[in-house]
Amino acid sequence: MTSTTKNRVIQSIAVAIDCSPHSKASLEAAAEMAGRLKAELIGIFVEDINLLHMAGLPFAEEVRLYSSTTTKLDAAQLERLLRQQAAQARELLQRAAEARTLQHTFRVLRGMVPEQLMRAAPEADMLVLGRSGRSPSCRKGLGSTARTALSEGKMNVMLMRPGVTAAEGPLLLLCDGSEASKRALVTALEIAGPKSTLHLLVTDPDPEAVERCRQVTEALMSGRDIETEYYHLPFTEGKQLASFIRMIDSGLIVIGEGMNLPAETLRELIDNIDYPVLVVR
Amino acid sequence: MPVPEKLLPAQLFNRCDPGSFEFGTTAELDGSTEIAGQKRALEAIRLGMGIRHDGFNLFALGPSGTGKETTVRQFLNAIAPGRARPDDWCYVYNFSKPRNPKALRLPPGQACRLSNDMDHLVETLFSVMPAAFSSEEYQAREKEIGESLLEKQASAIETLETDAREHSISLIRTPGGFAFAPVIEEKVIAPDDYMAMKKEERDKIEKEIDRLRGSLQSIMAQFPKWQRETAERIKELNREVSAFTLKPLMEEIRTRYKDIEEVSRYIDEVEKDMIENFGQFLEKDAPEDGPIMMPPLFSLAGRKRSAVRYRINVMIDNGKLDGSPVILEDKPACMNLVGDIEHAAQMGTLITDFTLIKPGALHRANGGYLILDARRLLLEPFAWEALKKALRTRQIRIESLAQLFSLVSTISLEPEPIPLDVKVILLGERRLYYLLSTYDPDFNELFKVAADFENDMERNPETHLAYAHLVGSIAVRDKLLPFDRGAVARIVEHGSRMAGDATRLSSNLQAVRDLAHEAEYHAAQNGRTQVSAEDVEAMLEAQRYRASRIQERMRDAMMRGMILIDTASEQAGQINGLSVYSLGEESFGSPSRITARVRLGKGEVIDIEREVEMGGPIHSKGVMILSGFLGSRYAADEPLSLSATLVFEQSYGGVEGDSASSAELYALLSAISGIPIRQWLAVTGSVNQHGQVQAIGGVNEKIEGFFDLCKERGLDGRHGVLIPASNIRNLMLRQDIVKAVESGLFSIWPVTNIDEGIELLTGVPAGEADASGAWPAGTVNARVYDRLRKMAEKQKSFDKKPGDETVH
Repeated sequence: MTSTTKNRVIQSIAVAIDCSPHSKASLEAAAEMAGRLKAELIGIFVEDINLLHMAGLPFAEEVRLYSSTTTKLDAAQLERLLRQQAAQARELLQRAAEARTLQHTFRVLRGMVPEQLMRAAPEADMLVLGRSGRSPSCRKGLGSTARTALSEGKMNVMLMRPGVTAAEGPLLLLCDGSEASKRALVTALEIAGPKSTLHLLVTDPDPEAVERCRQVTEALMSGRDIETEYYHLPFTEGKQLASFIRMIDSGLIVIGEGMNLPAETLRELIDNIDYPVLVVR
Repeated sequence: MPVPEKLLPAQLFNRCDPGSFEFGTTAELDGSTEIAGQKRALEAIRLGMGIRHDGFNLFALGPSGTGKETTVRQFLNAIAPGRARPDDWCYVYNFSKPRNPKALRLPPGQACRLSNDMDHLVETLFSVMPAAFSSEEYQAREKEIGESLLEKQASAIETLETDAREHSISLIRTPGGFAFAPVIEEKVIAPDDYMAMKKEERDKIEKEIDRLRGSLQSIMAQFPKWQRETAERIKELNREVSAFTLKPLMEEIRTRYKDIEEVSRYIDEVEKDMIENFGQFLEKDAPEDGPIMMPPLFSLAGRKRSAVRYRINVMIDNGKLDGSPVILEDKPACMNLVGDIEHAAQMGTLITDFTLIKPGALHRANGGYLILDARRLLLEPFAWEALKKALRTRQIRIESLAQLFSLVSTISLEPEPIPLDVKVILLGERRLYYLLSTYDPDFNELFKVAADFENDMERNPETHLAYAHLVGSIAVRDKLLPFDRGAVARIVEHGSRMAGDATRLSSNLQAVRDLAHEAEYHAAQNGRTQVSAEDVEAMLEAQRYRASRIQERMRDAMMRGMILIDTASEQAGQINGLSVYSLGEESFGSPSRITARVRLGKGEVIDIEREVEMGGPIHSKGVMILSGFLGSRYAADEPLSLSATLVFEQSYGGVEGDSASSAELYALLSAISGIPIRQWLAVTGSVNQHGQVQAIGGVNEKIEGFFDLCKERGLDGRHGVLIPASNIRNLMLRQDIVKAVESGLFSIWPVTNIDEGIELLTGVPAGEADASGAWPAGTVNARVYDRLRKMAEKQKSFDKKPGDETVH
């Protein structure tokens, strides 16, 4: 964990690639951000051990998605397919990185996906991954990998979904005066470009909270010309927050883990919101 | 037999007295042009235009220039404003059969309004529709429908997944689909571990997985159906939104045209189609199907091609019309009559649509009158057939000629025919009318009324005034100087000359118009402020001079003796006939020498012209009449034993007509009797078997032709012309002849029979047969009779001689 580094918070960004639409969005977002922060891009592809095991079972059969017919699966064929996917992932990474002349590395791991990811990601200062992966039923809410990354990970996590970008644009930051929210503010300021608008959503019920937040922010900005807007929303309920955030219609949401807000509220917010979320640790 | 009196100068020219006019110059006239002397034609026009039944179309026949078009137009322009204004017509897209554009009938002036309304509607939709479909409400509903499908799919799989998990089995996403595998603590059992399990356990797992797989398959089999259902729901939503957006706009138009059932139906169809195809209003700029070089007609400022079908092709807009239309089509080509379907080239191919249907003259004249020139119509390929078809079927069906004859094979249209109710007026020469009437069975069915225009009209104070009005109106219309009454009188006189009849006036209005223009030119050249009789006279003189080249060359040849015409001596068997040469519009008279020689023969009169095929049938007929006359008068009881030859000397062209037959007879009588004919006289007139002299044409030109030659050789008071007495009323001679007659230098005798003529020509009495049939001695007839008898006897003696020889 290098988030306490004074001058640069994020120097390398890891991104999980499994060729799903979510992961493609993640790669784009990661590359975009890495380009802005001049950070290194690390691509991680995990060969799912579950798949390989399943293919080895004598009765393994695959139900085809678009014809609902079944075909025999065998391990060798699956290995080939995974290799292909890995190659494709590598190519995607290369293309994204080279377009922005980024330093990049690509890693292929084998094992349980969340586990492997948790093991590999701490090398980087930020992990970018899709809100949900390829498993069929996790369309709503977060996928298992994302869930694991949030609950077990120790690095910054950014959750992406297809159709939204993390390009330079408005940012929304939850502030409550806690240490965690200050960390989040530092990171947000690092990410923000000259064109970004920083929306600060103060959840501290204290009427003075907004003013305090402004002072802290202006101090941290140290003269940088970033447009800021302050909102005071003394609610602690996840759904209310989510609907307010939708009204502001900002881009990336930055949340500091360990804020004063209840953990369930944050979890609920993350589950319900359609915008990309960055959890700063 | 008394010799007829010479004609008096007054008989040679029917003068028009300027004093009979009440006006000073034509500027005092009101400028109206009532066509005079065409009562019969006008009656026919009135009848033809009055009967609104099928087939009562009109053919106005008569020589060109008689004012057929003017008369018809004047008549129609007078009655048309009182008639009902016909409806507007337009073509619209046929939504069920795009190949057959629909014809819409609207009250006058409404078609353009509907067209504008539709254009405006489409224009509005291009802004209103995108707004409706980008509204938050629509977006939310569309998203919700999409989400519900995904949710349905996900929850079905989730149920299955839960079911599987209960049996320690996991549903795993594979690169190509789904698969099931037994798990322990979220991890798939490795194959080796699995094989190490007891068979019963394995069987249980496999059975369970089989069941789950079956369920998954049946769930997935439903996916396409759900997707279809979703698509249907989205479509329904779209329909709802577009219908809602469209409704107020359509209502506005609908109330405007609620009384016109056809239009209401069309608007319903448009609404339905717009709702179905709302998408075309959403994308503003991109032209469909990608062609970059759209012709301007189809790109419509970036609008989509599909929106073109909501346009209205206004064929006929009668909004500004006053009563019924009166249309004159100058170029009655097929497509100008029945309309045309044009094509536009697009990327090298020819395409068309209902907006490219063009109306024809029949469309424009529908409900009114169409005037066409028959000759031009017949000259245009297929036009006559197309017109007849339209009149017969009472509808206008637009068929492209190229299509009909497979000259192009490309997208084609068959527009719905438009009912036709029109009166067609054909203008043409009489010959055309009679030809059509004889050879085209449809013609008499379709053109039941003929308006026969007169070549000329009676000459009376009324027609004199009509001429004055005509000249006046020409002066006003063509901005000419006014004509004084002397000039008008002179023009009237010339009108008689053109008619070739002192008691009639020519109906050739065009000729009068040309005359007026020329006379005015003369007056203007001479710096006058009004046109006088002298100007008209000078103009006529100039006209004669321009046309006289050949005439003068011929006279010159006669003067120099190249063409032998004797005007001084007396000669037997030789006479001056008179003929008329017609060269285009101009004609002139000139004397020709006709000679006759006789010898013994079998009673035939040989027409040399006919022998060499230079004489026409009428001429030959005239000559044959001569033998009939000779035989019956002089050789009733014995054979006509002469053989005569008749010839037009120095004639190198053809000879036609019988106007020289009396001259030929005189020459023949002179040749038989040996009595010389006075060469200072010339003769014209045809003759019948009884010796009566009959009328001929071109009498004025003939007299003038002989007069000119005599005048050039020097008039001595002997010179003159014998004309048929029945031609006196045709005399409208030149002023110089009238003057010569007045001063006794030239004479004109009207002759009714041959005996009068021969007496004038020879100076010898013709003689009348007494009761016994004998001719008084010394007369022409007696000498002819004697000579013929002698010849008969000679013939008889010749006939006997061979017989005698055989006896000897």
